[in-house]
Amino acid sequence: MTNEIKIFALSTCPYCKKTKRFLSEKGIDYEAVDVDLLTSSEQDDVLEEIEKLTGKRSFPVVIIGDEVIVGHNEDKLRQVLGL
Amino acid sequence: MTGQDERRVFCPVCSARFAPEGDLTEGDQVRCSICGQMLIVRACDNQWLGERRSMLSDDEIRDRVDGFAMIRGYGFNEMKEEIIDGLIGKRDAFGDFYCPCRLEQTPEYQCPCRPTRGGDVERDGRCHCGLFWKDSRER
Ligand SMILES: [Zn+2]
Repeated sequence: MTNEIKIFALSTCPYCKKTKRFLSEKGIDYEAVDVDLLTSSEQDDVLEEIEKLTGKRSFPVVIIGDEVIVGHNEDKLRQVLGL
Repeated sequence: MTGQDERRVFCPVCSARFAPEGDLTEGDQVRCSICGQMLIVRACDNQWLGERRSMLSDDEIRDRVDGFAMIRGYGFNEMKEEIIDGLIGKRDAFGDFYCPCRLEQTPEYQCPCRPTRGGDVERDGRCHCGLFWKDSRER
């Protein structure tokens, strides 16, 4: 996979942890941002991006190229990543 | 203290008053019928105030979650322990047991969150986090 993978997560969310664990186990690199641990101005910027991409405030948000996956969804991750 | 209002106890978790069964005495332990929190009853200004038992301990949230599920007849699934870990993480990072799957750290989202207290599980079959389930066999 050459696409860069970005994850917006919450540090306390078990589904976000599952998504990170799933990708790590598959040896896939990603950049994860724990939104709850950002400063409030950083948070505002990220939330604006998330709302534009997903229209809601639900975690995790996984961005792979043009694909945006909301929630922990292994089937969808497999499909998009060709696993 | 007598009369209907006087026998209600204020719950600091859900910021609401509930009427426990039977007579109340200072120091009694009662479970909030709205959120499941165990409270120690204190008389204050001619009202009953509930004090959170084992406030902020791991036991407090485990007991509250189990108590709420018991009152409503909800079940759990295999994610329960991971979600409770998330609740404990919220307490450690943000001071109280807020919903681990939401960004907001406000009393409204103290677990069980207001939408869940208000019937999300009846409507959707589960709460936002997937901690409480209407049918425990459901996944
Ligand atoms: Zn309560």
